[in-house]
Amino acid sequence: MIHLRGVSKQFEGKSKVTALERLDLHIDRGEMVSIVGPSGSGKSTLLNLIGGLDRPTEGEIEIDGEILSALSDDGLTRVRRDKIGFIFQFFNLLPTLTSLENVSLPLHLRGWPRKKIDERARELLELVQLTARLEHLPDELSGGERQRVAIARALSIFPPILLADEPTGNLDTHTGAEILKLMHDLHERLGATVLIVTHDHSVAESCPRTISLRDGRIVADQHRQALNQEVSRA
Amino acid sequence: MRLLRLISWPYARKHLLRWLLTTAGIVLGVGVFVGMHTANQSVSAAFRETIDKVAGTTQLQVTAGEPGFGEEVLEKVQSLPDVRAASPVIEATVSTGKGNLLILGVDMLGDRSLRTYDLDGTDEAIDDPLVFLAQADSLIVTKTFAEKNGLKINSRMPMRTMQGDRVFTVRGIMKPGGLASAFGGDLAIMDIYAAQMFFGRGRKFDRIDLALRDDVTLAQGTAKLRALLGPGYEVDPPSSRGEQFEQTARIYSLASNITSVFALFIGMFIIYNTFAIAVTQRRSEIGILRALGATRSQVRTLFLVESLIAGTFGSALGVLFGIGMAQAMAGYIGGILTDVYGVAQRADGLDLNPVLLGGALAMGIVTSLFAAVIPARAAASVDPVKALQKGRNQALGEGESRMRRWAALACAAASAVALIFSRNTVIFYAGFVLSGITAVLLAPSLTLWLSRALRPVLAGIRPVEGTLAADSLIQGPRRTSGTVAALMLSLALVIALGGLARSSYNSLSDWMRIALNPDLFVTTAQNLTARNFVFPASLGVGLRAIPGVAEVQLVRSVRVTVKGGPVMLVALDVASVERRAKLPPVEGDQADMYRRTERGEAVLASENFVRLHGGRLGEILEIPAPGGTLRLPIAGVVRDFSDQQGSLLISRDAYMRAWHDDTVNVFRLYLTRGAREAEVRQRILDAFGKQQRLFVLTNKDVRDYVTRLTDQWFGLTYVQIAVAVLVAILGIVNALTVSITDRRRELGVLQAVGGLRQQIRHTVWMEAAAIGFIGLALGLLLGAVELYYAIEISRRDLVGIDIGYSYPVATALALAPVILGAAFLAALGPAESAVRGSLVEALEYE
Repeated sequence: MIHLRGVSKQFEGKSKVTALERLDLHIDRGEMVSIVGPSGSGKSTLLNLIGGLDRPTEGEIEIDGEILSALSDDGLTRVRRDKIGFIFQFFNLLPTLTSLENVSLPLHLRGWPRKKIDERARELLELVQLTARLEHLPDELSGGERQRVAIARALSIFPPILLADEPTGNLDTHTGAEILKLMHDLHERLGATVLIVTHDHSVAESCPRTISLRDGRIVADQHRQALNQEVSRA
Repeated sequence: MRLLRLISWPYARKHLLRWLLTTAGIVLGVGVFVGMHTANQSVSAAFRETIDKVAGTTQLQVTAGEPGFGEEVLEKVQSLPDVRAASPVIEATVSTGKGNLLILGVDMLGDRSLRTYDLDGTDEAIDDPLVFLAQADSLIVTKTFAEKNGLKINSRMPMRTMQGDRVFTVRGIMKPGGLASAFGGDLAIMDIYAAQMFFGRGRKFDRIDLALRDDVTLAQGTAKLRALLGPGYEVDPPSSRGEQFEQTARIYSLASNITSVFALFIGMFIIYNTFAIAVTQRRSEIGILRALGATRSQVRTLFLVESLIAGTFGSALGVLFGIGMAQAMAGYIGGILTDVYGVAQRADGLDLNPVLLGGALAMGIVTSLFAAVIPARAAASVDPVKALQKGRNQALGEGESRMRRWAALACAAASAVALIFSRNTVIFYAGFVLSGITAVLLAPSLTLWLSRALRPVLAGIRPVEGTLAADSLIQGPRRTSGTVAALMLSLALVIALGGLARSSYNSLSDWMRIALNPDLFVTTAQNLTARNFVFPASLGVGLRAIPGVAEVQLVRSVRVTVKGGPVMLVALDVASVERRAKLPPVEGDQADMYRRTERGEAVLASENFVRLHGGRLGEILEIPAPGGTLRLPIAGVVRDFSDQQGSLLISRDAYMRAWHDDTVNVFRLYLTRGAREAEVRQRILDAFGKQQRLFVLTNKDVRDYVTRLTDQWFGLTYVQIAVAVLVAILGIVNALTVSITDRRRELGVLQAVGGLRQQIRHTVWMEAAAIGFIGLALGLLLGAVELYYAIEISRRDLVGIDIGYSYPVATALALAPVILGAAFLAALGPAESAVRGSLVEALEYE
């Protein structure tokens, strides 16, 4: 599903900063993976590269059979549009649009018919339990509700890949737990590949696989099942 | 200063484009101001300089209006013991095909006591003036003119004169400098008696130049000469001709001043808009400064100093831009003034007035500071706690909005009341200004309402892009309303000027239909306003004898001074005009007014004469003439476009008696039924074309000429339109650049969730189109009001003719694609910057 081969990312500035260094990674379809690591370890950079928001300096990224480096900017956008859903720490909802409009946005961009868009958006908001907040602007919602709208928007086309960058980072513990539960539910029900970048150990531990980054390299790649078995053996 | 380096400089560097756009506003304003004024001043200065150089040591000049006076006046003047030297002059400008040539007809025997002819080399003919006199084809040219046209001593130079095509011989070449540099060096000297003959002056002179004895003061000399000559003559120093020229071109100067002040005003708006946006955008920065201990006055000073720097830089660049513009415009303005007023002049160099340039610099800086006062105050009053809170900060406070609306209502009411008492000039103009203030105050609210109204329309066209474009406008009224207001004001002015032009054309067209109805016009020049050559009246008899000619009207128009101002006196056969081209009265009884004027008992005054010079029906006018002052009542007022300063129609007989002048400027010919225009024209040219300088223009030629002249006059309108479009582009680029910076994250999200580059571009383009549309809608609306004022101002203080209200629908329709096109152009850069930036940075943008 997701293949990274020798991927490096450097940022040019007064001095060159290496965010990722010759990274190899394979994630299968339907996996739920958490990516952890200290600040500056390259977590968000990795997510941005997989999401086609940025391009690697070196190496190759393959998403569902498509090599991203071979694509134009609009080609990358099409990959995002058809295969990837984003959930951001600061929600990134458009402040002038209602919940329903925010969720409808990606569908409009695909040129779906209005009626079908409306049905799908309502269905998704129902899925994230926000039926009562359809016409509310982001400003009129709580943090948790905003993130639910953002999740509904990310799911609008039922993408095969869902990328979440600190989805609970801007929420209190209780709301964060609720959002995490919702993501697990959706993962199980929709079968999407989910990648979550997080600082939060509880979020990381809730995922069957955890990749740890440090200084732009993978320092650990643990599968929860194996880990659990190791723990039980011990 | 430290704050400036720490805070303002990094901000300016980061937002260089915006800073440059702000400066561009003031560059444009100051530039147009300096350009227009310098070009005007240069033309006037060139005219004065020519007068000075031609005058030599002349202290006083005796004139009697354009018709001139008989030779006997010279003897009278010379007989006065106080006069040391007096020499007659004929001055005319002729077109040589390579530009205008100023010809000075002088008496070489006596003129050298007034003027120095510094000749290149020696030539017997010039050394002995009698030889020069004996050869009527003699011409002295300047070295500049000779070199430009490849002329040498004894070179031959053809010219069309009232004696037919003549070949003149260059018998002297003047060294550059002094007299030879007058009129840019395009000057030639001819013997006065030859000039009388070649220019059709008969036995008349245009003026007498004289010098007084050393012990006689100018005042004494003037008084004695006036007493000697009587009321029909004017005795003034040469410099007064410059004043007369300026008075004649007064309307032009006024119109161009309005353009330049308007440009500066728009520049002020752009600055205000940019600073208002900057304050909104830098709220958190201001909040941090305030939290760290900066006082309100420090914050206010910071913004004012920024504006001072932008103003100084922009004004300095504006002055340079204006000088460049003046260089390009001086020739054009000179052309307009020559064509419209028939007074040839040329400006080869620019007259850079340090006071004007310094004044423009100061005005640009003050305007810039003034524009920044409100934003600076707003910055100083920022609450640090609120400013440090994240969230929307663009929204216009409801309280602020309500206050503006109330103020607008008060201004609108005051403006309406001013209309009731508009007889008073001050109240009228106050009402005009208040109407503009009302519009400016209402602009933010109207922009918001229109943006809301546009939202469903734009969403209908493109659901996502349209909605986001409209929302951007709704969310950022501060960002948009300044641009919309500037656009609205410029377009309103374009509509007002366009409407004025259209109404003038309509009115002019009506007048041409009635007054310019002869089939052919026989003139001395293709330029109908030039009055350098005149025909003898006897030509009229010859023309009447041409087969196909039914009637000939003899017209003599001369500029005279009435009620202290220059006025065009048109002498014609009133009975014939009444029969053929009867102008309906604006005031007076039609039959009576023509009858009395025909008898020479009264004059017909043009509507603009009455309004501009404060005349009224029945008033007895005093018209100074060489035969004594004419005292004639105004028998009727008619609409006549013969002259911008007003015209008086007088019977030809009365004119000939008073001015001892039977010459003619134009013959108006009516053809017999069935006669062919082209054939009659050819017959006239065959019969008289070789004997004298003569042009036969058809009715269409004359109408086209008048329309062309009017087009040229309204050329200023096109300058206004250009300024308006520039303002539109500048304003929209500014608003969009800010909008894109504000919405970087929003646009990033759009791309992250699958928005293609083209879709992002569409969003920006639609926002620009919406700004253009709103500005256009408000501009066209305000234009309807401003047009009323423009027509009133024109009637009261400029042209003096009530031209009627006619909304320029065609201009309005033409503006729509221009402004929307300009909006699109303005959006191209910002749209590209929106799609080219880093997506990751955009999503992290705070």
